[in-house]
Amino acid sequence: MNEVANATKTARPPAAPSGDQSPLLEMQGISKGFPGVQALDAVDFDLRRGEVHVLFGENGAGKSTLINVIAGTFPPDAGAFRFEGREVRGLTPHQARVMGISPVFQEFSLVPDMTIEENLFLGREITTGGVLNSRSMMRRAREVIDELGFHLDPKKKVRELSRAHQQMTEIAKALMGNVRLLILDEPTASLTEAETVRLFGLIDRLKHENVGIIYVSHRMREIKQLADRITVLRDGRLIETLDADGVSENELVELMTGRKIDVLFPAIEHKPGETLLNVVDLTLADRSVEGVDFHARAGEITGVAGLVGCGKSELIRAIYGLDDIEAGRIEIDGASYAHPTPARSLKRGICYFPSDRVVEGLALNRPIRENASMAALDLAQFARLRVLQRASERRAIQEIVDKLRLRPPNIERIVANLSGGNRQKVMLARGLTRETTLFLFDEPTVGIDVGAKIEVYELMKQLVEAGAAIVLVSSELPEVLNLSNRLYVMHRGRMVAELTGDDINEQAVLSSFFQDEREVESA
Amino acid sequence: MNVRILQAQPHPETGLERASRVAATVGLLPILLVLMVLFMAVVEQKFFGMNNLFNVLRSTSFLAIIAAGQMLVLIVGGFDLSVGAVIALTSTVMAKAMALLSAAMPDQTAAVIILGVLAGLGCGVFIGLINGLCVAFLRISPFMVTLGTLSIATGIGLLLTNGIPVYGMPDVFVKEFGRALWFGLPATVYVAVALIAIVWFIQQRTRLGRYIYAIGGNLQAATVSGVPATGYLVLTYVMCSVLASITGILMTARLGSGQATMGGNVMMLQSIAAAVIAGVSLRGGIGRVELVALGALFLSILTNAMNLLRIDSKMQLVVLGIIVVAAVALDELGKRRRVRD
Amino acid sequence: MTDAARNPAEATTFLTRATLIQALLPIALVLMVLGFTIFEPRVISADNLLNITIQASYLVIFATAQMVVILTRGFDLSLGNTVSAVSVTSALVMTGMAGANGESVATAIFLGVLMGAGVGLAIGLFNGFAVAWLRVNPFVATLGSFNIALGIATMASDGRPVFNVPDEFSRLVYSGTVLGIQMPIILAAAVLVVIYFLLNYTVFGRSLYILGANPRAATVAGLPSRRYLMMAYMLCSLIAVVGALMLTGRTGSGEPNLGGNLTLESIAAAVIGGVSLRGGLGGVQSCILGALFITALSNGMNLTRVDGYVQMIVLGCVIILAIFLDRLRTSRM
Repeated sequence: MNEVANATKTARPPAAPSGDQSPLLEMQGISKGFPGVQALDAVDFDLRRGEVHVLFGENGAGKSTLINVIAGTFPPDAGAFRFEGREVRGLTPHQARVMGISPVFQEFSLVPDMTIEENLFLGREITTGGVLNSRSMMRRAREVIDELGFHLDPKKKVRELSRAHQQMTEIAKALMGNVRLLILDEPTASLTEAETVRLFGLIDRLKHENVGIIYVSHRMREIKQLADRITVLRDGRLIETLDADGVSENELVELMTGRKIDVLFPAIEHKPGETLLNVVDLTLADRSVEGVDFHARAGEITGVAGLVGCGKSELIRAIYGLDDIEAGRIEIDGASYAHPTPARSLKRGICYFPSDRVVEGLALNRPIRENASMAALDLAQFARLRVLQRASERRAIQEIVDKLRLRPPNIERIVANLSGGNRQKVMLARGLTRETTLFLFDEPTVGIDVGAKIEVYELMKQLVEAGAAIVLVSSELPEVLNLSNRLYVMHRGRMVAELTGDDINEQAVLSSFFQDEREVESA
Repeated sequence: MNVRILQAQPHPETGLERASRVAATVGLLPILLVLMVLFMAVVEQKFFGMNNLFNVLRSTSFLAIIAAGQMLVLIVGGFDLSVGAVIALTSTVMAKAMALLSAAMPDQTAAVIILGVLAGLGCGVFIGLINGLCVAFLRISPFMVTLGTLSIATGIGLLLTNGIPVYGMPDVFVKEFGRALWFGLPATVYVAVALIAIVWFIQQRTRLGRYIYAIGGNLQAATVSGVPATGYLVLTYVMCSVLASITGILMTARLGSGQATMGGNVMMLQSIAAAVIAGVSLRGGIGRVELVALGALFLSILTNAMNLLRIDSKMQLVVLGIIVVAAVALDELGKRRRVRD
Repeated sequence: MTDAARNPAEATTFLTRATLIQALLPIALVLMVLGFTIFEPRVISADNLLNITIQASYLVIFATAQMVVILTRGFDLSLGNTVSAVSVTSALVMTGMAGANGESVATAIFLGVLMGAGVGLAIGLFNGFAVAWLRVNPFVATLGSFNIALGIATMASDGRPVFNVPDEFSRLVYSGTVLGIQMPIILAAAVLVVIYFLLNYTVFGRSLYILGANPRAATVAGLPSRRYLMMAYMLCSLIAVVGALMLTGRTGSGEPNLGGNLTLESIAAAVIGGVSLRGGLGGVQSCILGALFITALSNGMNLTRVDGYVQMIVLGCVIILAIFLDRLRTSRM
């Protein structure tokens, strides 16, 4: 790492002697609230020099809020924050970087229309009196990238990079300059095996140089390999900080969810019936999906697993009519379904629940009622001759909202003021406003608390047992492993495995990635 | 058709392919520009008359400067509706200041001119500061802020002059600068070229330029990377207003009097049109000043050509409107095609 | 699970604060009128209040037109020039028909109105097509039609006013009364009622709100976004036609400069009243409030003999202030 650090302009302060056991970072009683949710509630956290401290918890547990506080994105509402023994107040992202706190976020802090080199040096350009020294920046950018062993062309625009390459750029950016504390938020979510191995090597080197590392991940394998200590968060509260040695996987999951695993995932009785959805040799216009065959049957949950960006979510979006299809065939109920559009899909009984509810799902400044009924305004129950039936609408939506146990059950509330779990329920209500036989779930439990999660699973169970077909696309392995009757694995736009029965386990899913990669390498 | 030629390897780039590759990188604008000039060469000889060319160059210069400023604000994801009003305000304030000063100290022409120009530039800084501070700190929509300052600046300009042209600027200023030819070209052209060069330098070679792109390209990313976004936002709005102010000074020097009706909404809309035709994205983050200057040249030549061809001035408006919309629609279409590839 | 459940105290303070900010504009309106009364007692006379209402009738129509597209995150820069184009073309048809061919005045008026509606709809169609199908930014699209409409207005009239609009027409839309109420007020009320119904009781209106609040969510929900977006721009122009005909009746001539500052004034009125430029928020009540506010402000300044140029400066400051309040109001959501 010293080579990297020396390659940049800022000189690293002398490393603390390895015997120094005073923590690099100490946080006490950190709280942070947002409209609709208390994201952190009096959380204590500390990080030693040269350790990897894993933050563990479900989506929405407060991990990203905590690392954002550490990175200075926003201040905590309450609590004490000490870095290298000094009290920190009113931290800005810029100050954080100057102090040596370097975050690698999942939502990349990259400017898409700028080149890799421009992004690497953003905020710390090498200049003489404001004039850029382009040549030396380009040279150093190359040095840093080579040093990390990444294959990136610094002159390329970030917009043109794959997700994995954007991730590498983000990591390279974090390692520019003087790094004392590195934050990695699910860095391997879009990396291949080989790239992951290289990253782990890098982490080892940084540890030896006394850099403290906060590592957010869900993957047991990574946690076992890297972690020195693990802090578990749930619903914004600190559950426990424990040493990584001798912690079992089940123990961690139970700490994370607060439930025994069999309580979290309901036992679903799958009764596979006729094939409702059949996809033959499907290729999308943007090539995110290539030559995929797959089918879903009534009365069962069909899972699709894969890395971020593997094309699994594009697959169901295309079936619903949101992404462009280039070749292939979709059959619904045995009849060919060409050129899907959302409106026609809804009429055929297909409903899609997007992963990003804020961006694609909800009209945030409108009430629950309007959000729940908006996909069914063609039905007589909601509108006749294009005139809204407001009383009938209110009745119908109230009934659905009660059934979903939305609290409080006031359907005139503005959606922006709801918590993640309640927002997801409003989305789900949409699937219940009309007769739906095929449910397409895209990451259905992202950003919602455990209680709401269980309710979502319960609803899936009810739907499937009532004879609906469910396609569940998820990056959370436990979710697809425990809920699916059949599980497909996608990798780089292709279906690489279909698992059933006892074959549905983490080992099988991960090995189908490796197999694909070995094939790619041998090819 | 000869099959053997088709199979020749590696096959050389055909003229058409090269043209389409060039078109993809620099856009349609330069090609359209050349076509239009060729067309005029054939149809209307008067186009190449010295006086006509000077007129085209002058109006291009005015438009290019103000459009360069507009471009900067568009790149940070904003808008400036007040540039036309800034021209008017600058014009009246500068003329008024010069008239008063030359009455007070008739012998010191140089000082009168310098102080007058500074007063004019001050107007730009003033309005730019209001715009920038409201957008950056109060986080008000740039559209509405600059709509407000448009009204304010116009009001002040009219209030100062009662709508009557202000005379009394030193003759030297008008004769030796505003209407002068330096080395055979209008002085305005040199000012415009210098300003475009400066803006180009800022965009390509300075930290300021990179920050402007970064703020418009991804504000969140810029902030977490340590770019002091609010300060640079304010600076960008001030730069835009100052450039508008300089346009006002040049136009006033050319006209010989300060007028509260100068610039106005027409200049404002044209500045946006020139930027947009040159591929500046209204979503922020994209735009290059050399192309914007071409856009200004294109609009000026188009207007001039239509005048020479005696196309009715009202009809010209219709043509202009259709061209602006078509240019953006084509751009948008091209972008969608590229995403699919 | 929700903020109310976690922290009821915070929820209630938020509520009162929100209502306080909502009530700010009406309070400011009343205070302003009272303030002007101190300097000029005539401000609060019945005659003047009626006068304000009639004046505001025009602005409220244009603000409503503008609101329909602002709800979808757009706006219409061409509105003012659409008004000019409609005024000129309808006046030309009315005077031409009534004069030469000896047609009845009623036919002439009918055809004139039809002509105006046609011109307005054509411009709306252009805007809607460019925005919805060609995906041109609304600013650029309506900037284009701004020029086109101005071209039509000046070309048709040769830049001069078209005189001799039939008196019957002026009586119909301006000087006449029904049950003692002036026509402008009646027409404005009619427009408001229709738009209120469209926005709150039809699928089209509901879709406009959703489209503006989150266009991608509207697509996912299967709403025919493009068609509704296009209809929104056409409706905007059509409402502007009503206002344009009313103004033509008032001046008794077709005026190529009639639109003038209407675009910016209409946007200002709608946004000051509470229509959010970020889309999906606002209603006819916002337009009424905004139009009344601006009209009362300029009426008060006129009566207290504030210089016209100073009025422009004041208006600019008021716009910025009002939008700042709007941000406070919406940022809490």
